[in-house]
Amino acid sequence: MPELYNDYFGEFGGRYVAEVLRPALDELESAFKNSMREPAFAAEFDEIASTFVGRPTPLLHASNASRALGGAQIYIKLEGLANTGAHKINNAVGQALLARQMGKTRIIAETGAGQHGVATAAVCAKLGLNCRIYMGEIDIARQRPNVFWMELFGAEVVPVTTGARTLKDAVNEALRDWAASFPDTHYIIGSALGPSPYPDMVREFQSVIGRETVMQTTQRGLDVVALIACVGGGSNAIGFFYPYLDLPSPALIGVEAGGTGTETGLHAARMTGEGRPGIVHGYKSLFLVDDDGQVEDTHSISAGLDYPGIGPQLASLGATHRVEFTRATDRESLDALRFFARNEGVVFALESAHAAAEAIKRAPNYPAETAIIVNMSGRGDKDLFITARALEPERWREFLLSEVSGIEHDLSRADAALAAAEENR
Amino acid sequence: MSDKARIMAHIVPYYPDKERSWDAARALIDAGVAYLEVQFPYSDPSADGPVIEAACSSVLRNGFRSRDGFEFVREITRYSPVPVYIMTYAGMVFAPGVESFVAAVKAAGATGLIVPDLPVDYDEGVYAAGAAHELDIVPVVVSGSPVNRLDATRARKPSSVYAALRRGITGAQTAIDQETLEFLRSISSWGVRVYGGFGIRTPEQVAAVAEHVDAVVVGTAFVSTITCAVETGSSVYDAVRSFAASLVNCTE
Ligand SMILES: Cc1ncc(COP(=O)(O)O)c(C=O)c1O
Repeated sequence: MPELYNDYFGEFGGRYVAEVLRPALDELESAFKNSMREPAFAAEFDEIASTFVGRPTPLLHASNASRALGGAQIYIKLEGLANTGAHKINNAVGQALLARQMGKTRIIAETGAGQHGVATAAVCAKLGLNCRIYMGEIDIARQRPNVFWMELFGAEVVPVTTGARTLKDAVNEALRDWAASFPDTHYIIGSALGPSPYPDMVREFQSVIGRETVMQTTQRGLDVVALIACVGGGSNAIGFFYPYLDLPSPALIGVEAGGTGTETGLHAARMTGEGRPGIVHGYKSLFLVDDDGQVEDTHSISAGLDYPGIGPQLASLGATHRVEFTRATDRESLDALRFFARNEGVVFALESAHAAAEAIKRAPNYPAETAIIVNMSGRGDKDLFITARALEPERWREFLLSEVSGIEHDLSRADAALAAAEENR
Repeated sequence: MSDKARIMAHIVPYYPDKERSWDAARALIDAGVAYLEVQFPYSDPSADGPVIEAACSSVLRNGFRSRDGFEFVREITRYSPVPVYIMTYAGMVFAPGVESFVAAVKAAGATGLIVPDLPVDYDEGVYAAGAAHELDIVPVVVSGSPVNRLDATRARKPSSVYAALRRGITGAQTAIDQETLEFLRSISSWGVRVYGGFGIRTPEQVAAVAEHVDAVVVGTAFVSTITCAVETGSSVYDAVRSFAASLVNCTE
């Protein structure tokens, strides 16, 4: 039986935080260990997972795509069908339940693309918890639709103006908040990283993906040769791979953001050369840092894959070669997104499309009676503004312009009505 | 003991630029501060308040490297016998190897090193390296920390302890109440030098804390003083010197 709480995974992990945060993490560690032993907690999680999240998520046989590619049968674990559109909700639900059990009334979270923020805000609305989301100013500008959803769910979205004004700075801001607020506040980290016990805890809540996959593939008698997942911080990948870690097969493949090139700032691949050991955000792992330890810029077309670090357990599994890492470029991911949309009627989130791109490359190498499972960690609706802009810039521009003039028309009519009302008084 | 307050003055090297940060360091020394705390700017300073964070960001944007920080410290230690502590984050200490970083701190003439996110039980060997290089590694404790954390810190047998006077991060105002003073007394009873601060910015606050500590740490207030001088186009040296003097002389 794998351990529930590890702290370190090989040389990676740990709890490198200032003393001011220590009581918060020590308290969280014991609450986590206690709750995971309680059948009542598991029952509560399962209940909300089935009625609110929409679990189990289906396993789709991508039969047309498999036929077109020749080779292994591709199956897609449709995590993107979960409420709010991505696997992020599994972790948000788990941690929010834990927070409630700990008597916390307020939740804070960081978000980059906004998926984790949306999931957290939705769960807080459902469980009646106060919710504040920290989000980099630049990400807010890029991801307005997700800000809209978070606010609709009643969360307060706070723009982060420090540092690079992106995800990593939102983590810092959340940690600053927590340093003063932890007596009544829980910080829901969005991926399997950060100071212990977060990597262990987030993996536990995401491992529901892997457990369902084992059941669904066993029921259908599939000969699974490979599991493929995209890797940002690593939460969907570690949750998906988890039941298989101690087995010699199938192959477990993590796909990082290849961006637009291999130079610094053009990608976010930490496991295939460029990453170095470092300590950032409270844990030791591989990071894109320079030789002074300063965090470097990253890029990916998918906002969820451009974090400069990787969760410590995956970093360790890379070192022991149980998980193999590769990368997909922005272009390959967009092509994969289009390919599966046309052949299977499913739209991958841009993050998950990196995994899909790897499946396209690998399927032909395996015999037709074998199966490759791709985790579609999210669905692509959220990326509409990015995907449409990349694939059909002209028509999308026309649409946006007409939207703008429509809004201007509405607003000027409202102004005129207001002026008329004033005059009548 | 003189009736002047002992101040540990925090400074960010190269803020706002190389020349004026050197002016600020001289001004602090000339005003009679007891220690300097030189913070190496780091890209992800999760325990810094907005003022220090902004100063560090601007220095990093201008291309700050660790070696620039060591050079800055070396210049100060050549100029004056005032002890210098380097403060930074685990990421920067770990990157070249903890042992190499500690050796560089020593070579720059610094007296000690403060790394808030290398707590005593996740220290990456910094205490051992400090002992080997006869460098004072200063743990940070917080008012209100549970007993088990204070005991763990004490068990490291530090010679100095940095006592944060309240929860939260630097920058905001701190009230000096009975609980704070009791906390300081309990740390002092370990037989260590106590540097106490967090949110100290007025002579009144310094006066309230000074007799309970070896030195009162003042950080954000100095960075703000520099920022203000830059914005109003006045002399950084003069602004820092007169503010530092007002704190040093607060007990008169
Ligand atoms: C749909 C989707 N997949 C993957 C990720 C990457 O995160 P992780 O590697 O933790 O699964 C994100 C992050 O925002 C996401 O939204």
